Order: sequence, then C-alpha cells, then structure tokens
Amino acid sequence: MAAALGSISEIEHELGAQRVDPETGQPIQRTSVMTHVAWVPEAWVEAAEDVLAGLAERHPSRTIVLFPEPKQDDSLIGNVEVDRYAAGEGRQICTETIRLRLRGNRVQAPASVIEPLLLPDLPVFLRWRGMPPFGEQPFEQMVRTVDRLIVDSTEWPGLPEPYEQLAEIFDRVVVSDIAWARTSRWRLQLASLWPGIAEVSRIKVTGTEAQANLLAGWLRSRLGSEIELEHEAADKLTGVEVDGEATAFPPGAAPDPADLLSDELERFTRDRIYEDAVKATRM
Amino acid sequence: MTETVQPELQHENPLMEGLKLRRAPDPCALVIFGASGDLTKRKLFPALYSLALRKLLPSRFGVVGAARTEETDDDFRERMKAGVQEFGRDPFNQETWDWLAERMRYVALDFADETGQLEIVKVLNELDDKQGTSGNRLYYLAVPPSAIATIVKEVGEHRSTDGWTRLIVEKPFGRDLESAKALNAELLENFNESEIFRIDHYLGKETVQNLLALRFANGIFEPIWNRQFVDHVQITVAESIGIEGRAAFYEQAGAIRDVFQNHMLQLVALTAMEPPIDFTADSVRNEKVKVLRAMHTPGPKHVVRGQYGRGYVEGEEVPAYREEPGVDPNSLTETYVSAKLYVDNWRWADTPFYVRAGKRLARRETTIAIEFKRAPHPPFEDVGEGDLQPNVLVCHIQPDEGVSLEFAAKVPGQGLTLRTVHMDFLYGGAFRTGIPEAYERLILDCLLGDATLFTRADEVEEQWSLVDTIVAFWKRDRPAFPNYEAGTWGPSGADDLMRRDGRAWRRH
Repeated sequence: MAAALGSISEIEHELGAQRVDPETGQPIQRTSVMTHVAWVPEAWVEAAEDVLAGLAERHPSRTIVLFPEPKQDDSLIGNVEVDRYAAGEGRQICTETIRLRLRGNRVQAPASVIEPLLLPDLPVFLRWRGMPPFGEQPFEQMVRTVDRLIVDSTEWPGLPEPYEQLAEIFDRVVVSDIAWARTSRWRLQLASLWPGIAEVSRIKVTGTEAQANLLAGWLRSRLGSEIELEHEAADKLTGVEVDGEATAFPPGAAPDPADLLSDELERFTRDRIYEDAVKATRM
Repeated sequence: MTETVQPELQHENPLMEGLKLRRAPDPCALVIFGASGDLTKRKLFPALYSLALRKLLPSRFGVVGAARTEETDDDFRERMKAGVQEFGRDPFNQETWDWLAERMRYVALDFADETGQLEIVKVLNELDDKQGTSGNRLYYLAVPPSAIATIVKEVGEHRSTDGWTRLIVEKPFGRDLESAKALNAELLENFNESEIFRIDHYLGKETVQNLLALRFANGIFEPIWNRQFVDHVQITVAESIGIEGRAAFYEQAGAIRDVFQNHMLQLVALTAMEPPIDFTADSVRNEKVKVLRAMHTPGPKHVVRGQYGRGYVEGEEVPAYREEPGVDPNSLTETYVSAKLYVDNWRWADTPFYVRAGKRLARRETTIAIEFKRAPHPPFEDVGEGDLQPNVLVCHIQPDEGVSLEFAAKVPGQGLTLRTVHMDFLYGGAFRTGIPEAYERLILDCLLGDATLFTRADEVEEQWSLVDTIVAFWKRDRPAFPNYEAGTWGPSGADDLMRRDGRAWRRH
C-alpha cells in the first residue's frame, strides 16, 4: 500500500522516486499522450476503479483520480502508483495514477490541485462520474481547466431536463457522452432504413432513459421533424421500434465500458451531431 | 466505435452524418495460389483471421486455397486453423474461425493445367451463389517466380466478367532489370497496372508508415530534412538469423536481391522522397519513383559485399554460410551488402546515404538514422569541436519501433562537460493498441483497392536498374569469402567504406 501524501510537492517527489526501477536504479521510460482526470464521488468509486483498470495499459497517461469528500475536515490526502508495462525487447514504460482525496473545503478548488500535476502540452480529459453540479464552483473550475469533458448521462436522474444545462456548456468545453457512444450501432442501423425512415413520427426505445432521449433527439435534429418518444425502461439498449415496426438488432457485440471510454479518449473535436441531439431531446 | 458501411448508404442520408465510418471492402472471393506453402499458413491465414475477428472482412466473402498438394476442404481448414493458432497475434476464437472456415474451399491443381483453372472458376461461381461474393476476385500469387507466368495467363483467360479482378504478386519481382521487365510485360498482358498489387511486406509495417507521419505531419523535421542540415543518412537492415533452410532460394538471390533491391531501396525512397500532394497511391508512388530514378552509387569501391563464416550469435556457435544445408561449399553468394548511394536532386545532392543489409549480424535491427551536421563552433571553453557529437534522429523500424533523438547535454557538476543523451519515443509505449501485422494491412488495402503501399512497375524497374549496376561491378572480381564472422557487424570493408569519408557506422 502506497504511503499517504499530504501535498503536491510530496506527490511530485513520490512520482519521481517510483519512476526508478528498484532493481537497476535506472529511470523507467514514460510515454504519455494525455492527462486523464476522473471526478469520482463516493457512490461511483467501485465502478470507476473497474474502468480505470481496463484503461491504464491502452492509454499511457497520467491519471488523476479525485475523490470529493466535502463532509470531512479540510485536508488533501494523496497516493501515487506507477505501473510498468513491457514495451519492446527488455524495455518497460510506466503510467502513473495519482489518487487524491479532496476533503472539506478542498473540494471547492479542485482546479488548483490538478493544475500543477497536468502533463505539459498534452490534452486534458475529465471524466465526471454521476450528475455534474452544473453552475457550481468545482465543476465550473474543472470545465475551464480541461480540454474535454466526458460524462455518461445514463448516470443522471431526471432526464431529459439536465440536457438543457449540459447544452449551455457546449461552447466552453468539448463534451463526450458515453450514453451517446452506446447508441452508435443503433444509429447506424436506423440510418440504414433511409429513405423509409424520413417520415417517422413515433419511436419506441427499449433501453436506458438517456439512450431513448438521445436517439429521439438525434432523429428529430437530423430529420428536422417532431418525433414522439415512447420509452420502455431497460438497463441496456435492446430494441427500437419505428412507427410501430421493430428495427433489426444491429450486428456485433456491444462494447464494454472501458472500450467506450477508451474510444472517447481518442476524440478531440466537437461532435455537432451529438450537440444537436442533446438540444433536441425536449420537443 | 467505428462501423463499416457501404458507400451508397451515405449518399444524401442525413442520418449518416457524423457516424464514424470505415470504408467496407466490396464482397469478394480471395484465391490463394500456393496455399500449401509456409507463407499461407504463417502469415496469410493469421492475417485473414485477425481481419475477420475485427469484422474488417466483407460479410460476403470466400477463400479458395489452390496448390498442387492433394487435400480436401476439411484438411485445408484444419491445416490453416493450426496456422492461426500457432502464428496468429490474437487469441483463438472459435466463433470467428467457424465464420471463416465456412467460407473456405480448396482446389488441388497443376498450375499449368487448364482443368484446374476451370475447377477454380466452378468453385468461385459456387461462392458467388452461396456467399454472395458478386464476381469480385482477388488472386494472391504466393508461388515461386517460375509459376507466375502460367498462373497469370490462366487467370487472365478465365477472369470474371461480373466484378473486379485484382492480383497480389509476392516478391521477387524478377532477378534483374530484364526479367523484371519481362514479368511486368506478362502481368500487363492480362491485367491493368491498377489491378496489380506487388507486395513488399515492409511497406505494411506501421513504423514504415510512421516515417511518413514523422516527416510530413511535424513542422519541425521537414525544414531541416535536406542537404543543408543533414550530414548523411544511415539505413541498416540487420538480421541475426541465417538463411533458415531457404538455401535453394538464397543461393540464387543473395542479400542484394533478397533485401537490398526491395526493402532497402523502398526505405531509402521513403526517407528521401518529396512530400506528396496527397496520400493517394499514385501521388506517393510518383514521388518514390523520382527518388529511385535519381539514385546512383558512385562506383565499385563504394559497394561492399560479404559472406558470413562461423561465429557466435547470442552465445551459440553457428555455422558458416557455406556450411548451411543445401549451400554450395564454394558459394560466392553474398549474405551482406553495404553501399554508399547518392540521390541526385535539389534536396539531397552530395549527401551520402550509407545502407547495409545482412544476415548473421550482431543483432536484429532495422533503423533509419538521419545524422545532422555538427554545431559549427562550440562556445564552451572546455569543449573542443571534436567533443561535440552530431544530433542523430533515429527511426526504429524493428524490433523496438519508435523514434529517438540524440543530443548533447551538460553533465551535472563543476565545469562544462557534455554527454550525448537519447530522447526516446517508443511506438508501442504511446499507443498500446495492438499493432496490426503488415499482411493484415496490405490484404485489407488490396480488398479496398488502395495501392498506396504496393510497388508499381516503374518503381520495380528503377530498383533493378540500380541493382544491375552493382551486380555488374561484382562480375569483375572474385570475392574472398567468407569475410566476416557470424555475430559481428559485417566485413571490415564496410567500415573502410565509411572511414574513407571520415565517418563510421553507428554503434548499436
């Protein structure tokens, strides 16, 4: 178990120390393509750790996981893990994970904690678990600091209302939504119904609320027409009916959560189609 | 997630906008001539399997193995399955294999016998009916050069009239300029150049393509990638293995035909070429062929050949080339070649390209090293001009794919002592997704009709033109072989080649 660290300088020192191979005394090579920041409230800790475990080897990066604990006394508690992977003949590279517990008032200024730890000149991705507190200081600070915000609106209650607040930040930060990514196979399947689908007036989606709203918003925005949505709750997207007619199940297997996040980490530009779909989630 | 889609779906369909699409190959049937050979089992089927696993093959697809060996469809499937399990880069997945196996057929034939061709046509028509392959045909010629003309003629005469026909030809593309021209003429008698895909698997390697990304996607390199800043270029294609039982082929080919004529000259061309206006097949190949046309070697003393004697590789004693099974005990076949080349154009005039390729060298390594001119004057009191090492940008093609830059740094402490340090970028370190095998990329490109990474007829002929010049030098004398020990970096003459110019091969 790594020692608890109480300041950024201690964290930086520990990172340097762990990057040295204990057997040879030589520094281990680090190759990074981004800084990946994850905001993980208590309820999401287990799920977040599972996804991170699937990601580390695919995206060599510095990962900073922030655990907000506002009810604790003010303090910063961190630990550092440097994982090594074989790369080439007899060579290793390392990736770094910094876990930080932001306690008490430290929750209010997360950007000031991560700024000194960002890798220079590389993109910063923020994965926000759960419903973002739109308009509140920690969230707004983080949005100003990062290049891309990744959410999963499947994790949000009360849809579609929160999409309105999400749409307000589109001009300030590039947004990815894993719920949207999960619909890609179905969107392709629905697109294959063109031109017959052009006159659709009603769809029924069996899946999560987010998927249902996003698919309806997508069709409304792309086809420029009002389309009624009927939603049947399910924990994943299993069916879409177009004007009462079931659409064939798309080929291939559904990607796992680590794959979905991994794909989002490779995108850098605004997804206008998604943004339009979000804006059209409310008729 | 990237999906594949047929192009017609995209036309004027507002729902297709923004969907990340990958071009899908047309339905087609692949015919592999030489299906009983090692290449099919070790490379082609593992590549097809990996493509199938990633859903990159068309859903309407079929494979026909064709060879002289008598075997049934099931025998063929079992043999290829074993190849996929032994040589594939992906874990074996029964479902994927079953998908591929269902589409596999085998035809035993004598290549020269027309009835064999008719049998293939019959099987292909059956695949059209059963798998919907639509009359599109890709023929892969994994056969010895002597069989190519016969197959090309037969295939040409029985080609499908319903869809497209493409032909993949494995090297060697001839053994000199004359035979290369004859082969090209035979191919072009039955096929258009756009239907012919001459495969050099080196061009399918990710890191060879990364050389183009490094040069043309980074503003810092291209401005200094010329005679004003580059002192010289060194390209090494070194193997530590011997001829691995290929005596019959290697005795005829030698290092110059096995590696120099194709892989080596392609690496020189990619290093020296001008930026293409786009990444289409003809734009890239036009630029490469200009380099090959401009290339020459200044004379016989600037080309060194060698043959390995006994020695030690990784601590194990290995036999001399002449002691390898199947090799003439008095063989004069070269297992090593190095040369100084010039590219006579505005960018590279008077800048030497030193190249070397050989077997049983100290280690397996393919690198392209761009050695820049030294800093003109060291302003430091304790540092003489000779103490300043030049900057070297090294592109590692294999085994540790990546790029490194050598530069001088101050040693911590009193005074000003300089040391050369390396800044390394490891390709596999930054991108942890599996790197596709060269054959996967090349087969898929061919299915898509993209010839960018394949060699065109004029490129092949320019390559042979240079090789013929070198071989002509060699006909004038009788080399004293063997002239280097296995496990070393080649004959002393290669070091002399550099020493005469006041340079040395890079230390590895």
